[in-house]
Amino acid sequence: MDIYLPIAEVSVNAPTIVALGALVGFISGMFGIGGGFLMTPMLVFFGIPPAVAVSTMANHVAASSMSSVIAYSRRRAVDLRMGAVLAAGGVVGAILGVELFRWLRLLGQADLMVSVSYLLFLSVIGGLMLVESVGAILRRRRGDTAPARRDRRPVWLYGLPLKMRFPRSRLYISVIPPLALGAFVGILSAIMGVGGGFILVPAMVYILRMPAGMVVGTSLLQIIVTTALTGVLQAGRNQTVDIVLAILLIAGGIVGAQYGARASYRFRAEELRAILALIVLVVGLRMGLGLFLTPEEPFVLMAGANG
Amino acid sequence: MTDLPPPSAPPVAAPPAAVGAPAISAALTTTTVQVKSDFRGARIVLYGAVFDTGDRPTDVVVMVRGPEQPVRLTRKQKVAGLWLNSRPVVFDGAPGFYRAASNRPLQDIATFSTLRRLGAGVDHLTINAPAEQRVETRYGVRDVVVSRLGPDYYDWRRAVVRLKEKAGLYHEDQQGVRFVDRGLFRAEIALPTGAPTGEYRADILLFQDGRPVSSRARTLTVEKVGLERALYVWAHDRPWSYGLAAMAFALAAGWAASAVFRRD
Repeated sequence: MDIYLPIAEVSVNAPTIVALGALVGFISGMFGIGGGFLMTPMLVFFGIPPAVAVSTMANHVAASSMSSVIAYSRRRAVDLRMGAVLAAGGVVGAILGVELFRWLRLLGQADLMVSVSYLLFLSVIGGLMLVESVGAILRRRRGDTAPARRDRRPVWLYGLPLKMRFPRSRLYISVIPPLALGAFVGILSAIMGVGGGFILVPAMVYILRMPAGMVVGTSLLQIIVTTALTGVLQAGRNQTVDIVLAILLIAGGIVGAQYGARASYRFRAEELRAILALIVLVVGLRMGLGLFLTPEEPFVLMAGANG
Repeated sequence: MTDLPPPSAPPVAAPPAAVGAPAISAALTTTTVQVKSDFRGARIVLYGAVFDTGDRPTDVVVMVRGPEQPVRLTRKQKVAGLWLNSRPVVFDGAPGFYRAASNRPLQDIATFSTLRRLGAGVDHLTINAPAEQRVETRYGVRDVVVSRLGPDYYDWRRAVVRLKEKAGLYHEDQQGVRFVDRGLFRAEIALPTGAPTGEYRADILLFQDGRPVSSRARTLTVEKVGLERALYVWAHDRPWSYGLAAMAFALAAGWAASAVFRRD
C-alpha cells in the first residue's frame, strides 16, 4: 500500500508510517514528551527529506500531545498556569529558533548543529536522568528514604523578582526561570525538530522542583503550544509541511498516545524516567556518531537550492 | 580534461536532408505522466525507426533531460577530529533528470569531443556553472558559486552526477536502445518516484561513422494531477492558510481521539 506524498515528493509505505506514528505516539503519551527526537531521525531513515521531516513532525507531535494532555487533565495532572508561563517563553523561543534554523540551513551548517545538539543535550540529559533514576530505584529497593535535598529553597527560584503562585504545583516562585526555560526549549525545538519534552521534563523536576505528578501533563501543554506555532511557521516560511504524511502519522499517533498515557500509571515515576533516559541516551549517541565516523560519501546534496 | 563544456550544449543541428540521406524518426508511447497518490515512478517506451537506403552501420543514442534545477552541495571535511560541512557550492543549472541510452557503449559510437559537444552520457552532460567564480549573497549568507576551480571542479561535478545517479535521477544505459527489427528500435525510460515535475525533452540521434547525421526531439510532461496537485498548489500559493489548516486538523484529531477513548 504505497502512497505518494505531494510535498515530500517521495512514495512511502502507508501502514509502516502509521505504525511509526503509533509507536512514537505511545512513547509520547507514556513519558509526556513530544517524541520528535525519535520521529525526525526515523522519517529521514525512511527517505523523507529532512526539511519535510522536521516540519511535519510538528503536526504529529501537536496531535499526539493534544490527545494525551486531555487524558492527563482529566486526572487533574496539568498545571495550567505553569503551562501558560512556559508556553509564553516557548512562543518567543520558537520564533527565534525558526529564523536561526533558516540561517544555519543557508550556511550549510544545519546538519552540524542538529548532530551537535542531539549529541550534547540528549546524552547529557539521558546520562543525568539515568544516574538519578537508577539511584532512586536502588534506594527504594533497599528501603532507604530519599536523601534530603541540600537546598530546599534554591536562590534561582526564590531570590528573583516577579513571584507568582502556582497552586496546582504548590509553588510560589519567580516567573523568570520558567519563562527562560520555555524560551530555551522553544529555540531548541525549532533547531532540532523536536518538541523539547526530553529537556522540559527533567528541567521541571530538577530545576523548577515541580511535583512529579504535574510534570508530564504540564510539559505536554507547553509542547502543544510550541509545536503548533512551529508547524504553522514552517508551512508559512518554508512550505515544508506535508499534509498527507501528517495525516498518516497522526492516525497512528493519536491512538498510540492514548494507550501510552494509560500505560504510564502502571509504572513508578523513577522507572519511567530510567526507561526514558535510556531511549534518550541511545538516540543522542547514535546521532552524534556521524560527527566522528569517516563518511562513505564526502559530498552531500543539500535541500533548499531554491532559497 | 581541461576544456569545460559550453554552458548549454544545443542539440545537434540536423544537416540539410538530401534525398535518400539517412533519417531517424521516433515517438513516445506516453507524452504525459500523471503523478497521483499511487505514483511509484513510470516506464515510458520510445519507438523509432531509422530510414537508410545504404548499409553503413548505424547507431542510435536517446537522451532525456528533465527540467533544470540549481544544485547545492557541501563536502564533509575533517576539522579537529570532527566531520563538518564545508561552505556550500552552487551549480546554477543541472538537469533534474538525465538518461542516456544507446545501442552500444557511447565511447564506441563517437569521439570524446563529439559526445562532449552533444552532452551525451553522464560524463559529458552539461551542468551549468557561471563563467567565472563569484560569491553570491542570499539572505545574508555567502554562497560560493563555482566553475573554474581547476581540478576541484571535477570532484564537485562528479559528486553531483554520483549523488543524482544514486537517487535514480541520472543514468546511462549502454544497451538501452535495442533494435527489434531492421531499422526499428525501442528504448525504455524509467522515471523514479523522485523525478521532478515539468517539461522533459528527449533527443533521439542517429550516428553514422561517429557523426550525428539526423535527430528528432520529443517532449514529455510530468505533472501532478488531482488531489496531489491541489495540495501542492495550496501549500505553495497560500502557505499560511495551508499551515493553519494542517495544524487545526492535527489538534482536532488529537482532541477527537481522546473524546473517543473517554468512553471506555
